[in-house]
Amino acid sequence: MAHDIAAQVRGYLVVFGALLVLTLATIGASYLHLPGTFAVATGVGIALMKAALVAMYFMHLKGERPMVYWPLGLTAVLFISLIAGVLMSEGDHLLGTRWDDAFTTE
Amino acid sequence: MEIPYTSEIRPDTGLTNPKLGIWLFLASEVMLFGSLFSSYVLLRTGAPTWPVQHEVLSVPLAALNTVVLIASSVTMVLAWAALAPHAAAVRAGDRQAAEAALKRYRLYMGLTLLGGAIFLVVKTIEYGDKFSHALYPATNNFLALYFTMTGLHALHVIAGMIVNGYLWGPGARMWHSEPQRFANRIEVAGIYWHFVDVVWIFLFPVLYLL
Repeated sequence: MAHDIAAQVRGYLVVFGALLVLTLATIGASYLHLPGTFAVATGVGIALMKAALVAMYFMHLKGERPMVYWPLGLTAVLFISLIAGVLMSEGDHLLGTRWDDAFTTE
Repeated sequence: MEIPYTSEIRPDTGLTNPKLGIWLFLASEVMLFGSLFSSYVLLRTGAPTWPVQHEVLSVPLAALNTVVLIASSVTMVLAWAALAPHAAAVRAGDRQAAEAALKRYRLYMGLTLLGGAIFLVVKTIEYGDKFSHALYPATNNFLALYFTMTGLHALHVIAGMIVNGYLWGPGARMWHSEPQRFANRIEVAGIYWHFVDVVWIFLFPVLYLL
């Protein structure tokens, strides 16, 4: 039992280290002045990795019961729909293309 | 009225009621912050020009706050780990184990509270610096979003500190009467605190770096 806890605590400290490294990585990446889309992908991608680490290990989502996953899965779908809906309404000028260009066949 | 299934697992959900409750609450919180993040996306993508965020805000202070909040998440989970394995022994009447665990718990929970306090102090310095340069929520859409999103987040930090402060002080009596229930309370309070950390993990790149 004592050994299990020691291993668990070590695990939390490893996650802590990983979160600090990813924080440095995201700050470092911002100094590279990547073009818009890459900068957003890097920034949001690293944030997603950090959030996943916190959720899996600190919030004990790893190995949690299905009853937790279902409402969270639904929330994820609703959240993505919210952001996607907004992006589509502005999609005519994002990434330097017009939205309807994507549907023009010529 | 007694709340059922605070210590034992409820057979049909496989969870204690507080655990299911906190996750449902956090699902609603995701949508609350989601509405603000989507507003940010709409206003920024629809704007002809946008301020260079890292020139308006202080990246070093925000980076410091990121580290502080992550560290306070670590101490929060360590506070739970100090109690949880000893709940059965305390229930069986082991006074010595109860006191030793409580002492370690109080240390880690105290550090968590300290982290929250440092975060708020740094945030206050940042706000004060903006105000002294006449940068207000009414100045432009970016600052309106910055103050709304970080302000709502700071309110969540304060709420978490009130709960954690209660659990550090008077609330800790429950460790002796109902140890398993108390350990579960710390876990649930921790899940909320980590969520506040996760929100900041997204606010930092979105408002400061991109």
